[in-house]
Amino acid sequence: MLEMRKVTVSIAGVRVLREVSLTLRPGVCTVLIGRNGAGKTTTLRAIMGLVPLVSGEILLEGDALHERPGHARAGLGLGYAPEDRRLIPGFSIEENLLLPALALNLTAAERKRRLDDVYGLLPQLAEMRKRPGGATSGGQGKMVALGRALMVGRKAVLLDEPFQGLAPALALDYARTLAALRREREGLALLITESSPHLLDAIADETLSIERGAIEAEDAAPGAATPGH
Amino acid sequence: MLFAIVPLIVDGLANAALIFFVAVGLTLVFSVLRILNVAHGSFYSIGAYVAASIGLWIISSGLNPWLSFPALLIAAALVAALMGPLIERTLVHWTYGKGEAVQILVTFGLFLILEDLQRIVFGVRSIYADTPMALLGVSEIGGIIYLNYQLLLIGLAVLTLIGLRLFIRHTRQGKLISAVVEDREVSEAMGINTRRIFMMAFTLGVFLAALGGALATPTSGVAPGLGAETMVLAFAVAAIAGLGQVEGAAVAAVIVGVARVLAIYYVPALDAVAPYLVMLVVLLIWPYGLFGTTQSRRI
Ligand SMILES: Nc1ncnc2c1ncn2[C@@H]1O[C@H](COP(=O)(O)OP(=O)(O)OP(=O)(O)O)[C@@H](O)[C@H]1O
Ligand SMILES: [Mg+2]
Repeated sequence: MLEMRKVTVSIAGVRVLREVSLTLRPGVCTVLIGRNGAGKTTTLRAIMGLVPLVSGEILLEGDALHERPGHARAGLGLGYAPEDRRLIPGFSIEENLLLPALALNLTAAERKRRLDDVYGLLPQLAEMRKRPGGATSGGQGKMVALGRALMVGRKAVLLDEPFQGLAPALALDYARTLAALRREREGLALLITESSPHLLDAIADETLSIERGAIEAEDAAPGAATPGH
Repeated sequence: MLFAIVPLIVDGLANAALIFFVAVGLTLVFSVLRILNVAHGSFYSIGAYVAASIGLWIISSGLNPWLSFPALLIAAALVAALMGPLIERTLVHWTYGKGEAVQILVTFGLFLILEDLQRIVFGVRSIYADTPMALLGVSEIGGIIYLNYQLLLIGLAVLTLIGLRLFIRHTRQGKLISAVVEDREVSEAMGINTRRIFMMAFTLGVFLAALGGALATPTSGVAPGLGAETMVLAFAVAAIAGLGQVEGAAVAAVIVGVARVLAIYYVPALDAVAPYLVMLVVLLIWPYGLFGTTQSRRI
């Protein structure tokens, strides 16, 4: 469904991604493992159109995604939760959740439907919806960032190190939410990055590892074979 | 003695109202685009020239003189619509993410171009178009005579402040602007066309400056040098407030406007430097301005 083909990215003259290829499929959870500075965030930013590609292409259902501006992703059904939450501090939690819906100018009915959907998955957010985005703990902020990504992520959701810095109880909570999400939205493709290997083995259908900007080994779970290799 | 000071205060507030329009535009552009537009004052003088020209044309062609009032607004809208998107797309957009030195050089170049353009189009003589001021006349309250036009200016500035706040906080476009001010990349990822927001914010900034200039024409002549003079005043106000502060810009404009008028009256020698003296004192005590902090980007 979403395919990166030999994507190379440079930031400030340094080659950060080298011919990265990966494929996301509906209903498949792909985990991208890599050390600090390996290029995980850059991979997600490249998909989201937030960094220019030096070469390569990114296709969404066969169409050239990399030729479209970054802001087109939300409307195409890609949700993104960045590494460090990055909520709008002056907005309430609910306003933060509604931001992508506002950007896409969804109808009030559709907005409410999606919001209710997110509150159904993350009921703890409904309880604190009036609280300012700037007044959330790290863990709560990650939940809000997940909810915000789910407001528009109908096809694929990209989560950048969602477990990093979460207390064990919250991490468990987060993992349960992801499991519920996968049950509820069967066709959703997930791409999750993580720095420590095996942490997400229970969730992953497919695990890729990235090192110094290149995806090295592919270790596909049965039934999720990677084409093109 | 007390009576003597009231007209001065009104004078100062009317002055503050005009500076507020330019300064709040400057601050808005700074918050969203993160550039300090050195050419911002030129939009004030262009707004003034266009308004004065339309005003004189209305009188000379025998139209209803009351049309001079909507003409002020139309002049500002015209300047913003014609120059805002064009300049943002061609010149300013090129400086995003570049160092401050580049931004200042480019916008200073823009300032020089706009100054020359004004001389070519409007000439170098002063233009006076005070029909709106004359039409509104004066009123007498408690033995003191006020220029009604000055009261109108103060009212309009207050309405603009309230309107801007409501716009930013409660409308769709306003909320999208706030999100971009906080985090451009996340805004883009959430589906906001940040390029369009930049263009819109820049154009709104041009409109506010041009509106200040247009509203100033009935109170004083328009002459070369107005753009530079206004830029420095607007910068002083924005610096006193802390860059990026909407309500702060209003407070700072009042401080500067009143200080200027009081200086003219009591210490004429300090007239021209009064705003910068205030700025100096404020920045010595509060380096980020009265309402600013290092982090503060909120509008
Ligand atoms: N804005 C930038 N300027 C310069 N170099 C950058 C920038 N962003 C990323 N890099 C470099 O690109 C490489 C990959 O960065 P990236 O953020 O993608 O890594 P990551 O795998 O997400 O790391 P982490 O686990 O620390 O989040 C790093 O070596 C980093 O130094
Ligand atoms: Mg990262």
